[in-house]
Amino acid sequence: MERPKIGVFSLTGCGGDQLMILNLEDVLLDLLSYFDIKDFQEISSFKEDSDLDIAFVEGSVSTKQDLRKLKEIRARCKMLIAIGNCAISGGIQAMKNGQMEILERMKRVYGIEEDIYGVLEPKGLSAYVKVDLEIPGCPIEKEETLRAITSILHGDMPDQFDYPVCVECKLKEYPCVLIEKNLPCLGPIIVAGCGARCPGLGLPCIGCRGPIKEEANAAAELEVLLSKGYDEEHIVNLMRIFCANFGEIKKITEIIRRRSGKGRQE
Amino acid sequence: MMYLKLPREDFDAFFKNLQEYGKIYGPVKAGSSAYNFKEVTTLDEMDLSYNRTIVPPKKFFVGLKEKIFEFDEKRAEFREVIEDDPRKVIFGIHSCDIHALKLLDKIYLEDMADKYYLERRRNAILIGIDCHPDEHCFCKSMGTSYATDGFDLFLHEISDGFFVRVGSMKGHEIVAKNKGLFDPVGSEDIEEFKRSQKKRLDEFKLELNLSGLQDMLELAHNSQIWDEYAEKCLGCGTCNLVCPTCRCYDVIDFVNLDITTGERVRRWDSCMLRRHGLVAGGLNFRPTRVERLRNRFNCKGSLLEGMLNCVGCGRCTVYCPAGIDYVEVLRKIAGD
Amino acid sequence: MVRVEVIDNVLAPSPSRIIKIEKMTEIERLFHVKFLSRDLVERFVYRPGQFVEVGVTGVGEAPISICSWREEPEILELCIRRVGRVTNAIHRLKEGDLLWIRGPYGNGFPMEEMEGSNLLLIAGGLGVAPLRAVLQYALKNRERYGEITVFYGFKSYELMLFREEFLYLFREGDEQKLRLYLSYEDQNDEKCKRLAEERGERIVQGVVTKLFEKTEISPENTYAIICGPPIMYKFVVKELIKRNFKPWQIYLTLERRMRCGIGKCGHCIVGEGNSIKYVCKDGPVFTYWDALNTKGMI
Repeated sequence: MERPKIGVFSLTGCGGDQLMILNLEDVLLDLLSYFDIKDFQEISSFKEDSDLDIAFVEGSVSTKQDLRKLKEIRARCKMLIAIGNCAISGGIQAMKNGQMEILERMKRVYGIEEDIYGVLEPKGLSAYVKVDLEIPGCPIEKEETLRAITSILHGDMPDQFDYPVCVECKLKEYPCVLIEKNLPCLGPIIVAGCGARCPGLGLPCIGCRGPIKEEANAAAELEVLLSKGYDEEHIVNLMRIFCANFGEIKKITEIIRRRSGKGRQE
Repeated sequence: MMYLKLPREDFDAFFKNLQEYGKIYGPVKAGSSAYNFKEVTTLDEMDLSYNRTIVPPKKFFVGLKEKIFEFDEKRAEFREVIEDDPRKVIFGIHSCDIHALKLLDKIYLEDMADKYYLERRRNAILIGIDCHPDEHCFCKSMGTSYATDGFDLFLHEISDGFFVRVGSMKGHEIVAKNKGLFDPVGSEDIEEFKRSQKKRLDEFKLELNLSGLQDMLELAHNSQIWDEYAEKCLGCGTCNLVCPTCRCYDVIDFVNLDITTGERVRRWDSCMLRRHGLVAGGLNFRPTRVERLRNRFNCKGSLLEGMLNCVGCGRCTVYCPAGIDYVEVLRKIAGD
Repeated sequence: MVRVEVIDNVLAPSPSRIIKIEKMTEIERLFHVKFLSRDLVERFVYRPGQFVEVGVTGVGEAPISICSWREEPEILELCIRRVGRVTNAIHRLKEGDLLWIRGPYGNGFPMEEMEGSNLLLIAGGLGVAPLRAVLQYALKNRERYGEITVFYGFKSYELMLFREEFLYLFREGDEQKLRLYLSYEDQNDEKCKRLAEERGERIVQGVVTKLFEKTEISPENTYAIICGPPIMYKFVVKELIKRNFKPWQIYLTLERRMRCGIGKCGHCIVGEGNSIKYVCKDGPVFTYWDALNTKGMI
């Protein structure tokens, strides 16, 4: 069988998802030997402009240049896999989406009220092109990524997590940090796959894997955290760190905005 | 039933001698107020006055997440994966959890026995211990506050040791082998045992009226109560995963990097999760939290050959992050 | 401890060879499979309406009803629609490849109880698969049953499953005392229109319940057996009740997510309060009486 041609690309992001693939050190050489690598910036400067069977793309679409690059990649590949929270929903850089104009953001960060980069409001790949598979996380999980790749090599699409972190937390018999310590844990609305790493360390889930799409009951989570004494703004900011671009969290932002009567621009 | 007394000074020796029957697992503190069954080698690692463990002892018989098969596509092989030594001593199990295991036995052992469960169940020794109810325990209402069988030995604490009930042949073997450690029960011990049981029964505060519960549940099909709680419910599945009588599991296949070998894994599942009622092609028989919540309460409140699928352990209420109170819901359903 | 007993692992599947694959439609194929183990071939006894768990290693298992009742019982026929991960994987397999099978599971149809009665089979779409096993059984044991009437509804000629077999019965079935009625949904289906020209009294354009207008159906000594998409049941049952069928004269077979097939994994639970049932173990064949008493069944 001919080795599938792959490319691993970055848009706007920290490069951490590519790094997680490289961190699969024990199996990395075996894994990569299945593929004909045409582009993988973090491994090598070698690049070959060819059609691809699979493109792995990390990072958000945050500039017009990102968008151009993404469209080129999509046109080249049969299967497009978004790796990491940025590529799925815009990631941390989408935190202020809908709340602050781009120019205002430029001013706060760079001190100039001018769009010098051709900036777009940060979004995930699926806002612009068809995405065949999304592997969540900030960064992605090594194990989950490996499982997804082996499934694809086997000929199948991977069976994906669509249940919350709480499930894994219970399977690992961790005490609930929300109940025991009153910590603002987002585990009940965030998609599993991390093995409940943070609650296992006694820390609250901060939502890096994003909410369970079309399922998470973020409004109930809000009520729970309010009852623990956290204030609305704190809660919504917490939810927006990684999840601002998801419909469920946008809704919460809207609820809070209306409730508090603060006329933030939307 | 055979009754014996285990004097306090022999307790440690008795515990140590149990090690010949397998690794010992007992209740160990896991957080500020939570407990788990963990492997222990000394008595003082355990807190025998624990209220409940996060996850029920079902985990010893159906693994939380476990490999059940390995396969090799090239060689057309499918091999079961079962531990070589399934022997275990489960020390300090409460009556409600013993009742729950009896119910799981019906499911897993009668009619098409599950081999993994069977191997572990018949190689496990259950040592029960008396407990004192907290504000979430309602096992008294469920008829599960006292175990008459389903254990090997049951320890009831009295002033100078334990009043021991011997519940099985295996239990009998253990006491026979350790007969130097046990005394016959005297009339004072019996009186003390009776008093302690009476006192324990008086400690129960929470009650649930079960009369006509199945009809009340059916009649509540279109009740607003489900909508009300579905709005609060996070759909996180915790209630199922901590439930000693819930037994849904899911099965997942994984392929190794050689793309020809792999494993089949089973993991505890929850009917509160979206995919539970999903069939191929995207049709979901329980598409919303309302249906899932209603289904869960109906499943718990239904009868399996006269046994309810609930033993009143209180875990689902204690561990619900949304604070949904199981007893409160059923009381509303019944109009109490 | 001495092991004295070897316990069967009921979750362990048996390898079986795909000996033939027939393409039926773009998304449905008929797989003829045979167990590798001779021992199993002899032990495998099933009845119409039962199902097997069909597995592909690395992907998982899916419940598939057995759609045949053959002279050579060692060959099972499975009509599989490509719709989920497992069935997609099955469709990628070729003749000679292996499938991993467990079963048979479920209660199946009470073929003995129905002996001496008339049978009315009502199938919609892929629902024809389990009813084909009933039909083959009844035709093999033709003398044990009274009149056999079959209603078979499909979307279009191209999507008609087991087309040749059913067209043969459409034309020649009467010789075996079998009345086959067909319904097709696609108004512009030329091939079906031609069938209507050929034998208009036996085919109608519309949903399967329209066939009730084509013929007199009497509840007298008759069992109705229904299988089709979930939406179909209510409409078909309504027609039958209108014709004075009693709830226990109506059999339904249900689809659920039957992961284990043996009443343990819990995914196929239906019902509320007094009546909770496992579709895999208590069914998948139920009477309409069961459905009336078990909320959410249909």
